[in-house]
Amino acid sequence: MTEEKLTAPEHKLNNRDIWRMFMRLNTMRITLNYETLQGVGFMRAIAPALAKIYPDKKDLSAAMKRQLVFYNSHVNFDAVILGLTAAMEETTSPDEKDGINPLKTGLMGPLAGLGDSLIKFTWLPIVGSIGASIAFGGSIFGPILMFILYNVINMGMRYYAVSFGYKKGIAFLNNNQQSDVIQRISTMANVVGLMVVGALISTVIKVKTPIKIAVHSNISSKVGNNVISVQSMLDKIMPGLLSLLVTVAVYYILKKMNGKHAAMMIIIMMVIVVGLTYFKIL
Amino acid sequence: MKVLILTVLAFLLGIDNVSTKMFRRPLLMAPIVGLVLGNLQASLAIGATLEIMWMGIGDVGAYMAPDLITGTMISTSLAIMGNSNGSISTMIATAITLAVPTSILAQQLLVLIETVNCSLNGWAKKLADNADVKGTYWLTWPSAILYGLACAFPTFLALQFGAGAIQQAINDLPKFIINGLSTAGSIIPSVGIALLMMTMLKKGELWMFVILGFVFSAYMKLDILPITLIALVFAFLYERATREPKIKSVGNGVTTNTNFENQTDEDAEDYDL
Repeated sequence: MTEEKLTAPEHKLNNRDIWRMFMRLNTMRITLNYETLQGVGFMRAIAPALAKIYPDKKDLSAAMKRQLVFYNSHVNFDAVILGLTAAMEETTSPDEKDGINPLKTGLMGPLAGLGDSLIKFTWLPIVGSIGASIAFGGSIFGPILMFILYNVINMGMRYYAVSFGYKKGIAFLNNNQQSDVIQRISTMANVVGLMVVGALISTVIKVKTPIKIAVHSNISSKVGNNVISVQSMLDKIMPGLLSLLVTVAVYYILKKMNGKHAAMMIIIMMVIVVGLTYFKIL
Repeated sequence: MKVLILTVLAFLLGIDNVSTKMFRRPLLMAPIVGLVLGNLQASLAIGATLEIMWMGIGDVGAYMAPDLITGTMISTSLAIMGNSNGSISTMIATAITLAVPTSILAQQLLVLIETVNCSLNGWAKKLADNADVKGTYWLTWPSAILYGLACAFPTFLALQFGAGAIQQAINDLPKFIINGLSTAGSIIPSVGIALLMMTMLKKGELWMFVILGFVFSAYMKLDILPITLIALVFAFLYERATREPKIKSVGNGVTTNTNFENQTDEDAEDYDL
């Protein structure tokens, strides 16, 4: 890690090179394998940049080998690491090259967690729920809106993260003042996500019971007045009460299993629901 | 002809799943299938149901999630093809029933490809030895074609030989099973919602926001979009209220960290790296 502050460094890579890195970043995960995970993809993504940084063949070969190590992170945050690695390769002196891989390895774990929690488990579900609730109304606008919202973040972030990592990454690492911005964003995203989830429970999940209880009534002798529908009673207590109860029950069962057997859970639920339908409870 | 178009579509989506990831959700894929088969309304309903059912799913650490791409393609197409005159709720029931087994089976193919990919390491090393940057361009092609085929091949088989069987099954099964599966179609998405809650509920106090969203929707009958905007306001206020002062400067420019004991790493999840 260089301690010197970079004052207007001579960037060897222009925007076209960053674009090439971005295009190769998109196909990074294709070469995923059990030996080096995304190592091959990372080397392939950074190779054009390395070719420009190292005119000498021997240096280039050494640099390419250096990038061919075990690597795995989240695809949208690979971009930051990619840009940062290019900047490191460019600015470090030959005897500092050993510091590049530890930095990569140190960043990939935390950034993978961040990418999963921000994109996969927050942004995608939020736009997915908005899209799905519009699509349930029978409008093609739902998927289109979801596609636009999701990919503005998904693809836009990848390109800007590469150029951010390359141009500002080292300076950003040197002063860790901004580190809690990410924490704030993820807290806020959490709250928004949970409120959307709460809204989904009542709109998407519909549990209705057709059970009717015949009550012997002394007040009115009219026929029909002495049958009470359980569903209307429950609706008086709280609309969507059964949906909430079912979701909370499923949540606790899944939590007991650490969320591992979701597919099994779905099959078991199907069997239970079909069984209950047979006995006219649902 | 439609089967061929859908097979080509599956090939492209299979590659997209591991590269650009622009279409990798059921709600984005199902309408395309619906347009090809000429039944957009049904595909929207199926896509939305599957979207919420698979919502919180993702491979965290060593656990690999079912392959949504092939599962969605097969279940959506078969549900629409197998019910030429059925109701939308029957189609949703068919799609949900097919989605789980097909996703799990397709997953095994992806594991196979990732094992085959190990041979790429030797190739890449050779390229690095020769400092051959131009040659790296071809590294992804074999695997990309494999991934495409892994999605297209099962789709083709299922559509070519499955549609008739599905039609037959729907006609032969007793009525209560079909009705039960239709009911399940509106209950099963709770699994996706619960999975999502597991990743988001980091603190117990966050439960109140789930209840808040539920109340806005159930009692006030608001749509998701206004609830999201209201949620932004609440999120801002909550974040302000719970923010911890991290660094206090002490007079002469020396910074001291005030709370070492609160330096818990909340995002430290177990990634098998």
